[in-house]
Formats: sequence, C-alpha cells, structure tokens
Amino acid sequence: MKISVLFGTETGTAEMVAEDLQRHLLVMNDVKLANLEDVDPDELNGDEFYLVVCSTFGDGELPATAQPFAARLKKQQPDLSAVRFGIFGMGDSGYEATFNFGPKTLAEMLTDAGAKQIGERAMHDASGRERPEDEVIPWAEKVLAEAAPLFAD
Amino acid sequence: MPASPQIAIVGAGPAGCFLAQALLRTSPTLHVDVIDTLPVPYGLLRYGVATDHQGTKAVARQFARVFERQGARFFGNVHIGRDVTLDALRASYDAVVLATGLHQDRRLGVPGDDLPGVIGAGALTRALYEHPDAQALPDLGTHPVVIGNGNVAIDVVRVLLKTQSEFDGSDLGAGPGRWLDDNRIDSLTVFGRSPAASAKFDAVMIRELGKLQNVSVRVSGLGDPADDDAPVIAALREVGESESAAAGTTLEFCFSMQVAQIIGDDGVTAVRFHTPDGPLEWPATSVITAIGFESNPDLPRSDLLRHATDRERGILGPGLFGAGWFCHGPRGTIPDARRGAADMAATVLEFTEVDPKKAGARIFESLPDVVSYDGWQRIDNAEVHAAPATRVRQKLTHRRELLSEARPEEPS
Repeated sequence: MKISVLFGTETGTAEMVAEDLQRHLLVMNDVKLANLEDVDPDELNGDEFYLVVCSTFGDGELPATAQPFAARLKKQQPDLSAVRFGIFGMGDSGYEATFNFGPKTLAEMLTDAGAKQIGERAMHDASGRERPEDEVIPWAEKVLAEAAPLFAD
Repeated sequence: MPASPQIAIVGAGPAGCFLAQALLRTSPTLHVDVIDTLPVPYGLLRYGVATDHQGTKAVARQFARVFERQGARFFGNVHIGRDVTLDALRASYDAVVLATGLHQDRRLGVPGDDLPGVIGAGALTRALYEHPDAQALPDLGTHPVVIGNGNVAIDVVRVLLKTQSEFDGSDLGAGPGRWLDDNRIDSLTVFGRSPAASAKFDAVMIRELGKLQNVSVRVSGLGDPADDDAPVIAALREVGESESAAAGTTLEFCFSMQVAQIIGDDGVTAVRFHTPDGPLEWPATSVITAIGFESNPDLPRSDLLRHATDRERGILGPGLFGAGWFCHGPRGTIPDARRGAADMAATVLEFTEVDPKKAGARIFESLPDVVSYDGWQRIDNAEVHAAPATRVRQKLTHRRELLSEARPEEPS
C-alpha cells in the first residue's frame, strides 16, 4: 500500500506527530510526508492511502498550513470520489465548544468532495495525559488494517 | 575540524529553539549551540505560558527533538554579557543569533507607577511559575486592579481567580498554590485604555473566563448588541451575561479608561483615570500592569538594533543576527516565531562564512556549572517524578537546586 502522511499544523506539533508516524511506518512501507500547504487537492488519488494529521487553532479554526489547502479545495471543487483517507485530529478539551473542530472541518470538506473516510476520526486532547505522538501509532495501525483490503490488488 | 558553520543561538525560548529546528532542517550538518542564562531551556514556555495551558507548552516536545534527534547542543547557566562577552562569543562562532526575548514589564509612565503594590504581569508570572530569579509573591489585597487589554492580562486574571481543583493537570507549584489560596480577592477589575472594540484579547481567552467556577463576570461599556460585533465583543457579552450561582469573586471589565496616576503614600490605595466622562478615582489594593514588555539591560539591544545592517531581516552586523522579540519587538505569538524561523534560517546561512579556526563551544569549557542537555534531562526527570497526582510537574525553584540536579551522579 502506498501511504502519504499529510499534516496541517499551527505550532508544529501536528508536524512532529506526522513525522513520527512516517518514521514508524517507513519500516514496512513506502511513506511520503507532506505539509497540507504544499498539497494540491487535484493531485489526491485513489492509489495512495492518506493519513491526515490535523490540529485545531484559536476558536476551532483550521491550523495555518491547512488553510491554503482548504481554500484550494473550495475553489477547485475536485472530484475526490476515488480518494480514501484516515484522519488523526488534535484539540484541547479546555475549549470544549470547539474541541477538535479543525480536523472535523477538514474531514467534512474532504468527504463533501467525495472522499471516503476510513476508520474513526481520532480526537487527541492536549489537556489529557496521553501524547499525540504516542496515540497516533496504534490509531494508524487500526486504520491501516481497515484500509488494507481496499488496497489489495 | 568543522566543515560546516558553527552557530550560537543566545536564548533557548521559542524564537531560539524554532530557529535551531529550522537551521538543522535546512542543513543537518550544522553545529548549532543554544545558550541560555538559566540552567533550563524553553524560556517563555516554562516561565511565561500559563500553568493551566499545558497544551501550549506541548511545543517543548518539538524542541526536545531539536536536541535529541537533530543534534543541537544546550549550554545552560551561561550568561552572555557577563560570563562570556558578546565580542568573545562572536570571535568563537561563525554566526551568533540573539534571541533573548523581552521580559522587562513596560512601566505605566505615570506618577506613582513605582509605588509598592504596583507589579508587572511578567514579574508576577515569573514569581507564580517559580523562575529562579523571581521576586517574592506580593500581597495583592482585596481589590487588585489589572491594567491592560491583551492576552497577558487575561492569563493573569484567570490564574488569580481559579480555585485549587481548577489547576488539576497543570504544573502549578505548591508554594504559589498556597499563595493563591491565601489571597482574599473580593473583586478584580481589568481596565483598558481603548474602547472594547480595540481590545487585543482573543475571543477564545475571554470565553475561557466564563467557565471559572467561583467568579461572576461584569462587563460595562459594550453598548447594544449588533450583528457586526467583533468576536471579542461577542465573547465579552457572552461571559458578562453568564450568572455564576455561588460567585465568590467579581471580575469586571472597564474600557476607555486611561491611567493618569497611581495614588498612595507607602503603597497603592487608588488609581486615577481619565475617562470620556472626566476623571475617576478607583480604590485599589494593588495594581498589576500588563501593557507590554521591553528590553532587559544585559545586552546593548537598542545600540545593536540602531546599527543593524537590515533589521527587518534580522541582520545586525557581520556574523551577528537577531530573532524573535529581541529583534522585532514584543509582538507575535509562539506560532509566529515558528513561521519566521525558516526565513531567518535561510538568512543566517546566506550571510555566514565558515572559519574553521573558530573555537566554538570550547570558550565555555572554563566556566563552572554549565548545564548540558543531559543535565536538563536529569532536571526534567526529577521534576516530573516529584509531581503530585494532580500535577504534571513539580519545578525545582532555586538555581542551586537546578544546578545540583543537573550534575551527573558521581560513580561510587
């Protein structure tokens, strides 16, 4: 399975988590890593499985590097019906009204464009005791197990 | 013999660490040494970011990787300007980047602003967060006043008004916890010079105040609700309307009030304001100022900036650079520091020439008690293990404790 880890970050923590995920998966797979600000939605395709790591910023907003991607997605209205992704979200339950709204918004935008979400959207909590770089690995393994049959030739 | 440049970054806070990260991402073979006057790294994250905002402090884990994986080195307890002169540092490194931030509280500049009972938000925060050089925690009395309309003011207010259980999961120390418990604040009033629409609070920070368990919030001077209310106005309105049943403390926001004078003989008794309706005197038992930060005097900042080759790009002179608040002034958030770092790294590399004869970190060899990254890890471990169940860390508070914990154990 070809895997791409995409991240949207504000302070760099989601990038760190994405880097850790890539390192972990590299042992077994061909894994690319890209910042969402450098990703053209038109280039998303059905051959790769996308693992998206995305944080929340401010008042439930998308993080800085997810914003240009979201803007392009809105403008280009690509057909993403071949695209499959899993999403690991990050937020802070201290702001419960908008907890994990960044990744929620991003996942909705992707599915609205036709993409299919595989597995549960993880909701990491910065106010909790677990670290996202620890939580992301078991989450990814579960999602990858779910996705594997879909990518079997 | 080092084939790639040796770079010294002075200041291990967000600006310095994000720059080290960006430099080593651009060029992994660089020699990057991060120097701090404290025995511990991360500056503002440890001593400025609020104790109950651990999510914000998570950035420290990225910085740990800069030292653990990217190969940066830490030299703590080294005071540039005292232990090593800036000239000597420049003579030893191909490039020196000053990223020491700004931590001196800006003064009000009105009569009485030096009375006992007037304290800067930065000084108060350092005392609350157990900075080794902090002054003692003051007596705020029953009616403190906070001057300032930015997020620093909100952080101070929130921490002052929280009850013990609201600090679960924080790294608030036992001493500051007792001090907060012993405070007898009946009412706390936040004054802003500008109208509410110009306040620099983030709406999300205001809404957080609405969740305080023992506080009722009053906001005056907002006018009638309108559809085009700025987010911060909407948030102020929202928290101002929330009723807290058992409210022990009143928190009030007042706008368009400019401080004219702090009144008192041997301590604060009142603040006199200019208001659109004329002068007004407000009784106060203490005054906390949160109106910005300015330079601390250890480095000749204003001279360096005045003679900068290109201040905008952070080029101060040959092989000398400035980053973060030190260079650009006290504006910008932690994410802003990250955004600026990639460009700054490119600039530093473009304007740095390698001289293999430079001594690099050897100039620190003669200094006593230099704390390495390993030393910091020993401190970090000790602090995390000492934490009670409701805390994530219990800081060591005195420099000598930090230094003693940092030393490797003697082989027995």
